[in-house]
Amino acid sequence: MAEHPELLPYGIIREDLFRPLSRAGRKWWFTVAVCFLLVLAGLAAWGVQLRDGLGVTGLNRPVFWGLYIVDFVFWIGISHAGTLISAILRLTDAAWRKPVTRAAEAITLFALMIGGLFPIIHLGRAWFFYWLIPYPNARLMWPNFRSPLVWDLTAIVTYVTGSAIYLYLPLIPDMAQLGAHNKPWRRKLYRALSLGWTGSDREWHALEMAMKLNAVIILAVAISVHTVVAWDFSMSIAPTWHSSIFGPYFVVGAIFSGIGALIIVMATLRHTLHLENYLIKRHFDNMSKLMLTMSLLWFYFTMSEHITIWYGNEPKEMAVFGQRTRGDYAFWFWTMVVVNFVIPVILLGIKKLRSIKTAVIASVGVLIGMWLERYLIVIPTLVTPRLASATSFYSPSWVELMITVATFAAMIMLYLLFARLFPIIAVWEYKPHSPEEED
Amino acid sequence: MFLISEFRSKDALVVALLALKKAGLTPNDLAIFSEEPIEFRKGILDRPSHMSKAAVAGAVCLGTAATSFVYYAQHNYEIVTGGMPIFSFWATGIITYEMTMLGAIFATFFWFLWESGLIRKRDPAAPVPNIGPASMSLRVRCETGRADTFVEILRAAGCIKTERVK
Repeated sequence: MAEHPELLPYGIIREDLFRPLSRAGRKWWFTVAVCFLLVLAGLAAWGVQLRDGLGVTGLNRPVFWGLYIVDFVFWIGISHAGTLISAILRLTDAAWRKPVTRAAEAITLFALMIGGLFPIIHLGRAWFFYWLIPYPNARLMWPNFRSPLVWDLTAIVTYVTGSAIYLYLPLIPDMAQLGAHNKPWRRKLYRALSLGWTGSDREWHALEMAMKLNAVIILAVAISVHTVVAWDFSMSIAPTWHSSIFGPYFVVGAIFSGIGALIIVMATLRHTLHLENYLIKRHFDNMSKLMLTMSLLWFYFTMSEHITIWYGNEPKEMAVFGQRTRGDYAFWFWTMVVVNFVIPVILLGIKKLRSIKTAVIASVGVLIGMWLERYLIVIPTLVTPRLASATSFYSPSWVELMITVATFAAMIMLYLLFARLFPIIAVWEYKPHSPEEED
Repeated sequence: MFLISEFRSKDALVVALLALKKAGLTPNDLAIFSEEPIEFRKGILDRPSHMSKAAVAGAVCLGTAATSFVYYAQHNYEIVTGGMPIFSFWATGIITYEMTMLGAIFATFFWFLWESGLIRKRDPAAPVPNIGPASMSLRVRCETGRADTFVEILRAAGCIKTERVK
């Protein structure tokens, strides 16, 4: 393993990082094919829902929000991996960020594309999605701009646009290099996308300026997006949802799960694309420390949220609290606490135990835990009866489960395709330099 | 005419830039080509940018436009709100915020395309040198009569080779 990959000659760096674009092994094709089949199965399940209506889901009165909203919040959370982490590292000029940023930015874009689909799937009659777009209907009525659903639309559109540009800008110099030598169709693609980049100092200057400005803007947008998602809940006067800390609580959770996703992606890329010289232990070590910090923050917010509910002793809130901590959902609640807090603190907090393997184990746990957290926020509140007659339960149907599985497959498939088309580490940023410069 | 000279060290390039400027050339006559960004201290080859101003202008424009749009749209058909205001800055604030940010994002992106010259080639006839890894090319635009003087300056600064292109 290279201790200082930045000392490798530029020619070798370029060859190593461009190599995955020209070769795809059997494992790559097999994984893409399996993921594609799962995506097709998910589309078929959605087709069944479109044909037969929302009755094919487990949604029922009064549980009108189910797995789709859980998945929506989860994927929007995952999207915070990239742009937010990349922007923070870029603004603080953390040199170790270089092999990490593009992998992170790509997660953002794909997670947002997937997460943004869920409100449309959740609508049931997805073809009426355009009713959200601000234009008047036949009676000259406009959409309700006070609705958090419209807020979501504006926030997600802004975030997707910003993230796509943020991913695209640093890709331009790499694509210009790739346009010089490649298969004809790839040459055409890279040349078109690199917009005639020549590498002049004006272009570099404008690029660096645009990246810095975009990093500042995207930070503000990323925080607002998950806050708006949190407000989907906290604007309603439902027990345990109507909370003023939901905004920051969701943002912290999003960054936490985002880091988990990024560590898994980094480890996978390292193994499959043979990037052992570039994604070294130092990167995983730094990411592990970040994740440990977020784990502690997440626990602090979870404690604050639950202790105020317990101390307030409001009957409606205590009913949900009881369901979560010692009722039907207790097993999942305590599993969430273990995988989100206990395991990361042990595996990442004790220096001797911290390694790439343990970082991946902790990250998988965090992803499971954060998905459970979303589930435990959405479902127990809706299931817990506020009227004695309104007893209910929720169990997701095969359609919801299939669509959920398909989105995970879609994420893997999109990522694999991206890694075959574009260098997953920004080659021009990874210029050879001395370790002192790194410090 | 143009002179294209290749450098292997940044220090030599800085010496050349300072000497060329002293000889009467402006930053507009000079362009450096490289596979990676080269940073100079202030005063060597400054490229003033208006990108941050453009971002603020874009933000203000789209933010104001979106807020006005919501205001007029809500007053266009006054629905029954049960005593609540037809238009509220509290509820519109999020749309204003997001659209302000979107304005800044668009403005930054388009200003980048404009300022970098990617959609507005400053001098389409100017030659673009082929650059290899770890090398830097300096393109100098000059009058034919003074080319020899500038070639001498470039050589003295430490360039590896110089080519004349008409």
